[in-house]
Amino acid sequence: MNNPYEILGVSPNATDEEIKTAYRNLAKKYHPDNYTDSPLADVAEEKMKEINEAYDAICDMRKNGSHSSTSSSSYGSSSSYTHTSYPDVRQYIHEGRLDDAMEILNGVAQESRNAEWYFLMGMVFSRKGWNDQAYTYFQRAYQMEPDNYEFRSAVNNMNSRRTYSNMGYDTGNMGCSACDICTGLMCADCCCNCMGGRSIFCC
Amino acid sequence: MFGYVNVDKSNLLGKDFDTYRAIYCSLCKQLGRDYSIFARFFLNYDCTFYAVLMLSLSDKTCDFCTGRCRFNPLKKCDYISDDTVSLSLAAALTISSAYYKLLDNILDSPWYKRIFYRLLQPMLSSWHKISLKKFPTIDNELNKMTISQKGTEEDKNCNIDKAAEPTAAMLSAVFSLVDEKIDSSILKKNKNSKRILSSFGYFLGKWIYLIDAADDYFNDKKHHNFNPYITLDVEEKELKNYVLSSLNHTLSEAMLSYNLLEKGRYDAIISNALFSALPKKQNLVLSKFDKPDKQK
Repeated sequence: MNNPYEILGVSPNATDEEIKTAYRNLAKKYHPDNYTDSPLADVAEEKMKEINEAYDAICDMRKNGSHSSTSSSSYGSSSSYTHTSYPDVRQYIHEGRLDDAMEILNGVAQESRNAEWYFLMGMVFSRKGWNDQAYTYFQRAYQMEPDNYEFRSAVNNMNSRRTYSNMGYDTGNMGCSACDICTGLMCADCCCNCMGGRSIFCC
Repeated sequence: MFGYVNVDKSNLLGKDFDTYRAIYCSLCKQLGRDYSIFARFFLNYDCTFYAVLMLSLSDKTCDFCTGRCRFNPLKKCDYISDDTVSLSLAAALTISSAYYKLLDNILDSPWYKRIFYRLLQPMLSSWHKISLKKFPTIDNELNKMTISQKGTEEDKNCNIDKAAEPTAAMLSAVFSLVDEKIDSSILKKNKNSKRILSSFGYFLGKWIYLIDAADDYFNDKKHHNFNPYITLDVEEKELKNYVLSSLNHTLSEAMLSYNLLEKGRYDAIISNALFSALPKKQNLVLSKFDKPDKQK
């Protein structure tokens, strides 16, 4: 394994608190939940694993065993599922064989398409990068079974990304324009004139 | 379809902006060196972003020197002093995309504009031959994009994702070329870097296509041209929100992909473009939807 300090982006002299903060920031950034429907889900998972291992290694090195056992479980993937009608499709999606998954899903008759079918179809589209289609399918799955945690979190996840209002900076408010400065100067000049002084000498 | 991916100057550090400027000028100079002095007119921000990405990841550090601009001799500007593959690649992308855009314009434009484009054609096609020889992959990808774009526009059940696919796939291939052409220890360290670059390019290309479609929406509607947002089954007053959501969604995917990449030398510039300049651009383009009457 590479240098665990390098992976967390901290110096070997960093305090425990600094390491914890660095780990938390990275874990937030690469958390598998952010990437569940992304084409790079497996890459993010690997990255997260690497970060967990690095953190555990540092904790072990510092003989602070209490962290090592909790960390990997607290920031693990939440993609486990209990019962499914399409185990093979889920397996294909996991392996990245999207065309095969799509083929099986398309083979399902119209009347036997349940909420999970729409969810998985959305997943295939999402992994392919067709996020607009994916959103439609996820919404359909959620409408059919609003109580299902998996479908609800998929829709919520996408909703939060589609209403990403804090991404940029506010472009509306400018500090002050050339006009503002001129008006300000003119006002100042009027005031000065009243008091007998002059701020602009030509008028 | 050009000029959407720039930087947000007010939120960029002075030194980073100077570097960005220098790369912009270097790409301009490279166009002059590889093609012709007139090729410099086709310089654009999107290809500069591509150059910044490559120079950021490359092992070779850039040496900057100060020189004078040939178009504006009174102004001094910084250049990268040595010839690099990154700049050549970005220059090839500039020329090839300009060439295919021209071919497309010749087919689509009214006759008086067509005369102008026809005059440009011999010049661009001679440069295009050079770029084809240098980097055949870039040229092939752009060619493929032009052909499949025509196909999707004629498709009856076309949706946003389908319409954006050709541009997205093109940029995806062009970005994954970085992994092959650039010597980079950052990329070599990670076995997934090609996939990450490819996905980053995919979503960025898709975003460029979508923002261009949003920008042209009222114009296309007036002239009955193809636009993926016109075919949508969404009410007029809901449309702005829908367009914004689809852009946000695509951009956030591009950000997620970029986050997985190891940070390069010019991460500040790329992050500024992704996290600040592009959302700003979205707001700017979408402000058109608030006052549609003016556009008509």
